[in-house]
Amino acid sequence: MKIISGLSAGLTLLLFSLPLMAGDPNRGQELASQVCASCHGNDGNLVLADNYPRLAGQHEDYLVFALKAYRNGDRQNAIMSSFAQNLSDQDIADLAAWFSRQDGLKDLSIE
Amino acid sequence: MLKYLILGAILVWSLAAPALAQEGDAERGRTIAYTCTGCHGIPFYQNVYPTYSVPRLGGQSYGYIVSSLKAYRSGERRHATMQAQANTLSDQDIHDIAAYFVSLGEDEE
Repeated sequence: MKIISGLSAGLTLLLFSLPLMAGDPNRGQELASQVCASCHGNDGNLVLADNYPRLAGQHEDYLVFALKAYRNGDRQNAIMSSFAQNLSDQDIADLAAWFSRQDGLKDLSIE
Repeated sequence: MLKYLILGAILVWSLAAPALAQEGDAERGRTIAYTCTGCHGIPFYQNVYPTYSVPRLGGQSYGYIVSSLKAYRSGERRHATMQAQANTLSDQDIHDIAAYFVSLGEDEE
């Protein structure tokens, strides 16, 4: 009985920690400077073309969600899809860790 | 002569119109965007199934907001709540909301 409860506690912990794949912002910065910076800027504050989004300060988990959506085709954009195809889960986690830690976007406030 | 004047006026207008269409009214946008704050204005508010934080929009770029809302409205971009919201918006509404979100990035310091 103890073994079972211990096992299930361990499994639960594992399940909760899986989606929280830790991103490394330093590696993210390096990768961003090679792949993302020409359009989005090193820190994600550049808006090169009118309809490009600002990335700096965006929520980390939203950036992960968006990049994976481009990668799997849920979100369609010729440029972003081809970039996202080349990113591993770890790359995505690292990029999201980097851009989310930069000063930029803000929460809307309720007035 | 009058014909040429009218043609000229149409030509000038058609050149100027796209530029004018870019200009949203941030003040009107602030009013319309009240609905948006129900999700986007609450810190750490989560989308569920799948779970992720709803994106931060203050200071987002004008063109990205416009193209995103139009993509939700046309169904090209999918998200049940956002499609429902975008369906109620006119082009003018979308431009006004975008202008308001941009303005939130400007009034820092």
